[in-house]
Amino acid sequence: MIPMIDLLMCLICFLLITAVWSTMSRLNADAQVPGPPRDTETTPQEPQPMLHLTIASEEKFVLSWRKGNAVVSSVDVPRKPVTVGEGRAAQTRFPDLATKISEEWKANGAHRDPTDKKMDQAVLHCDNKTPYKEIIAVIDAVYSTKRPFPGGGEKLYPAMNVTFSMTSN
Amino acid sequence: MHGVRLAFVKKKVTGGGHRGVAASLNLTSMIDYLVTVVIFLLMSFSSSGETPINKSITLPMAENTIDMVTAPMVAINGSQILVNEHPVGSTRAVEEAGRVMPRIDELYNALKSLKDDWKKLNPSNKDFPGVVILQVDKEVPALVVKSVFQTAASAGYPNVSFMVGKIAESKK
Repeated sequence: MIPMIDLLMCLICFLLITAVWSTMSRLNADAQVPGPPRDTETTPQEPQPMLHLTIASEEKFVLSWRKGNAVVSSVDVPRKPVTVGEGRAAQTRFPDLATKISEEWKANGAHRDPTDKKMDQAVLHCDNKTPYKEIIAVIDAVYSTKRPFPGGGEKLYPAMNVTFSMTSN
Repeated sequence: MHGVRLAFVKKKVTGGGHRGVAASLNLTSMIDYLVTVVIFLLMSFSSSGETPINKSITLPMAENTIDMVTAPMVAINGSQILVNEHPVGSTRAVEEAGRVMPRIDELYNALKSLKDDWKKLNPSNKDFPGVVILQVDKEVPALVVKSVFQTAASAGYPNVSFMVGKIAESKK
């Protein structure tokens, strides 16, 4: 009995020392929208529709699907931030935006089939003064739209990939 | 108590008419408790280790996140830009420029040198992953984030990740 209790105590000590209490993770953003450069010339293809998400003003977001420079559809979404927590720990979320993005993707997304390995692209446009916490809240809203991918089983993965527009709106 | 030879000690230990000082321990419940603690700690065990976070940075939280990977870490607090804890630039210079800087020279050089080091250590045909992780304070303006993003991309890091605190996913 005593060796067993010793073993359990040693295990507890080891696990307590190596325990990770802060859970950090990441949100991915892509800086090369058309894909990595290729050595061989490829035939030009019809541009895929892309979701352009603009933080237009204090009152609204603009979601527009564009094929190249042509705007396919555009919709305004009221900017209703939901703040969770207080002080420095306060977090901003945009649940209405997440719902609208999901609806828009279901209506216009080019890669909705579960057998399609490609992701749709979302391009984020924001003012240079926009605080980082709001950018993250918007990216998180984009990634809340999920779908199954081939080989991924029943697990759902983000349906869109986000990139940054370097222009100010 | 037979091992205690001194009579007065034996009397004291056994209580001497009062309650004994030697209490018995219920081993079954103690082992149950230890096993429960071990299971809890094993469930929360992470083999990836703890990611170092700059003390002056408050990270935002997000729900739809992916796991951390090992990659160069660029930290941006209210005043400095750091690569793996070494200062490589000031956010004030970027803010004073008033426009997105396509290349912050010191940051570019630091990232380029890390990329060159990776290539020296991996001379085979293995592709460079091109991942960089940005640790940004939640109040930093987009201008600084865009400038760092652009600099990282031009230094050969097309996969830029934003480090965030994880919120448990809500069930839909």
